[in-house]
Amino acid sequence: MLAPSLRATAVTALLLAGAVGLFSLLLLTSGKSPLDTFAGLVGSTLGSAYGLGEVLVKLIPILFTALAAALPARLGLVNVGGEGQLHVGALFAAAAALALGAATPRWVALPAGILAGMAGGAAWALLPALLRSWDWLNETISTLLLNYVAIRLVDFFVFGWLRDPGSANVPQTRAFGPGFLWPAFTGRVHLGLVLALLALLLAAGVLGLTRWGYVIRAIGGNPLASRRHGLPLARAIVAVLCVGGALAGLAGTGEIMAIQGRLRPHFSADYGYLGFLVSWLAGHRPLRILVAGFLVAVIATGGDSLQLDQGLPSATVNVLMALLLVVVLARGGKRAV
Amino acid sequence: MSRTKFALTLALTLATAGQAWADPKLVVGALHVGSIKDAGYNQASHEGLEQLKKNIPGLTLLEAENVPESADAERVMEQMINKGATIIIAQSFGYQDPALNVAAKHPKVTFLHASGFKLAPNFGTFWGNNFEAMYLAGIAAGAATQTGKLGFITAFPIPNILASINAFELGARTQNAKVTTTVTYNNAWVDPVKEAAAVNALADAGVDVVTMITDSPITIVKTAEARGIKSIGFHSDALAAFAPKGWLTGVAYTWGDLYTKLVKDIVAGTWRSGHVRGGIESGYLKLAAFGPSVTAETKARIAKAQADIIAGKLVIFRGPIKDNAGNLVIPEGKAGGIELLDSTNWLIEGVIGQAK
Amino acid sequence: MPSEFLQGWLAGAIVASTPIFYAALGETLVERAGLINLGVEGTMLVGASVSFAVASVTGSTLLGLAAAVLAGGAFNLLLGPLVVARGANQLASGLALMFLGQGLSAYYGKPFVGTTVDGLAPLPVPGLASLPWLGPILFRQDALVYLTVPCALAVWGLLQRTSWGLHLRAVGEDRLVAYAAGSRTGLLRHQALFLGGTLAGLAGAHLSLAIAHTWTEGLTAGRGFIAVALVIFGAWNPLRVLPGALLFGGTLALQIQLQARGAQVSPFLLDMLPYLVTLAVLVQLRKASRGRMPEGLKEVFESSA
Repeated sequence: MLAPSLRATAVTALLLAGAVGLFSLLLLTSGKSPLDTFAGLVGSTLGSAYGLGEVLVKLIPILFTALAAALPARLGLVNVGGEGQLHVGALFAAAAALALGAATPRWVALPAGILAGMAGGAAWALLPALLRSWDWLNETISTLLLNYVAIRLVDFFVFGWLRDPGSANVPQTRAFGPGFLWPAFTGRVHLGLVLALLALLLAAGVLGLTRWGYVIRAIGGNPLASRRHGLPLARAIVAVLCVGGALAGLAGTGEIMAIQGRLRPHFSADYGYLGFLVSWLAGHRPLRILVAGFLVAVIATGGDSLQLDQGLPSATVNVLMALLLVVVLARGGKRAV
Repeated sequence: MSRTKFALTLALTLATAGQAWADPKLVVGALHVGSIKDAGYNQASHEGLEQLKKNIPGLTLLEAENVPESADAERVMEQMINKGATIIIAQSFGYQDPALNVAAKHPKVTFLHASGFKLAPNFGTFWGNNFEAMYLAGIAAGAATQTGKLGFITAFPIPNILASINAFELGARTQNAKVTTTVTYNNAWVDPVKEAAAVNALADAGVDVVTMITDSPITIVKTAEARGIKSIGFHSDALAAFAPKGWLTGVAYTWGDLYTKLVKDIVAGTWRSGHVRGGIESGYLKLAAFGPSVTAETKARIAKAQADIIAGKLVIFRGPIKDNAGNLVIPEGKAGGIELLDSTNWLIEGVIGQAK
Repeated sequence: MPSEFLQGWLAGAIVASTPIFYAALGETLVERAGLINLGVEGTMLVGASVSFAVASVTGSTLLGLAAAVLAGGAFNLLLGPLVVARGANQLASGLALMFLGQGLSAYYGKPFVGTTVDGLAPLPVPGLASLPWLGPILFRQDALVYLTVPCALAVWGLLQRTSWGLHLRAVGEDRLVAYAAGSRTGLLRHQALFLGGTLAGLAGAHLSLAIAHTWTEGLTAGRGFIAVALVIFGAWNPLRVLPGALLFGGTLALQIQLQARGAQVSPFLLDMLPYLVTLAVLVQLRKASRGRMPEGLKEVFESSA
């Protein structure tokens, strides 16, 4: 007899192998070699310093948007609005960078961009937060609907008022001043990684060690009882959703300040939804978010190799991601009636 | 078991990477923003690449479809270069900044970018003058319309599209002085469901000829056919098959010869960075075959206009030209040329719609 | 407002609402069983691609629809082992389902990109179709449009007038009590998932076979998420899903009608309308849906801490 924990690990490993096997079967149905496909997938991501760097580039916004879902979730709130908060964060950061001008010295510019991005994300979360705190509308639906509005809001400004008049009238803003741009360490891995890890640590610390974290956990555990005991539910709802929004806003700020250097439409690759998934996958625990986020980033990045080496649609990689997620979810679940 | 497999995959990866270095073959990487079978923009690019492959034996083509214009684009280019690509063809406007970034890191790789306005020593652009061809298509539309109302379905108000809409209206007006063109935007290069709704809404408003600049025009042409109105295609002439009755003509990109010339120049070392622009006179675009309802007289007028454009006798944007808000945009005695492709931010008088 | 504008708008509104309606109706059924499937988008993509593929290969629209129904139901059932048997988190499981649907439909749909089928053509109702003004709005639509009201009534009847529905609702309110009272809760929830999936599959088929007549990767473009939102709008009542879908589809159709009529408004602002109007109406109707959420569903949202 194996020890229960060892046996559980063995079952998980077996199921993961099963997921990989299922995906291999899918590949075989169109005559692709599973071994080559996995070799390409792993090789193009973890197999080189460049690939690993690109995984981290993808991980950065995912970590922020995962935290944006995780913090409210600890209070029992469902923030599906990471994508919208990310977009409005980027919009605010861009507006700040353009308003302050290209000559702004770095010590002003860098924090100004970051703060503006956080303010934008928080602002976009404020309406759903208020609606929820007044008990007017569930935040799941309001944050979701506002995602679509946010994307069009960015379009509206980039095609209109924020459009760069100097560069042939195309829909993008002027390039931001050098002071606003986030420094990169190696390849495209940028300041965002440090900020995201700090945010993870901070979230873990606040939730675990402070009175504020205690209140959140208490309310999340039992909202009705907390209200009876006079815990500030409405204020906590607004605070935690806005902090979440601010973090998602940082994801958007990073994409434009570290990767694009200007605001253009369609700069997000569904990071809001990926982050949401990661957060729920990880049970909203900061450390597990890091692990789950890394896994998701590897797979999402590996789609390139499926397309370039195997001629499969890059979205095929979503099948593998979903299968692995199913295993993790099934193993994490509590047996129910 | 999984560990041995992992070791195996790593070994395999290293082996394939080694191969890529040893291979002296010419590798060209191409990025598409949509599907290469969309009977539209991306299919036209793909067909050009296929022709390139035929023209240069031994050339290896790496194509990536549905590449978003986000941070992902740079990575896909890097992966192509990692696989030995020395030429990258970036087929969507939104790849401009990502391609420039990658170009700066790989001075030995040459980048060809569709429709851009920036340059670097190893980064040049190319584009076909779509407004010339749209002017010719406009003649067909103006001759065909009974109601005097034309529809133009597109994705975003960007300069080369606005210039095309304007030229389409001007072409149509040569046949019918009162004709109007109504523009609708879908805010997406590909969204067939919205495109179908746009055709129906335009038809409801009395439009009897529609054209489009979207990446996936099948639904538009097919819905127009079902509504019994005429259509003019864009990007690829594969589209005519979807509207046997209502098809008037289409504008098709024919990139093959241009790609071949550019790639041969790069290989020979004679390529210099610049903006390559041309129109029907250079063979970058052509008018697709005419549909059954286009009269011989109309065909002759279009042929005459085409000959005049090629001969330089016909200037499409000749002042005075007012925009649809009444502002004078091209004064008397002035003319707008190919620069309008990259700078138009207005819609001409007679066009119903917003320029931003 | 000129009457032809109104006519075009209403006809367009009905078409635009239909796929969202079917998906939201299916999701209503699922949620009444105390489950939430955030991955309706994935089920719709599977329905859209499978129906298109089958219709295109066999040349039969009917077979395409049947395939969409079965594939949608089967695809939704994949959630069963996860959320019913294992009690895994439903929101994450739903998103996993969405990614699976995206990937599978892209994979199997690839050969069909750039092809077309005749699909579901409008089916004028004899006599009624030639009614002045109303005819084109109501009676020159495709079969799936005509089936919306009967489907809503059928699902309502199933939930409210059959013992199966009673049991299902009991499961959705309190699983443990229902179990103690002898209901086969697991079976009932799987049945709800299957039925909900068939309707989501039909929703996808309407997009590919009746509206687009083609297949592209990601054809649904977020409409599945809207369907989930509209369940709340309908306050978990099948009959109220219809006005919700009409409101959303109506604003979608309005924005394109306004553009086609030359309204002097930015297309981007117009495109926000469906989402903003839905949000505003939801806030306005907040009292009507309060307390209607199945009790069992609350657990999904609150067990997160």
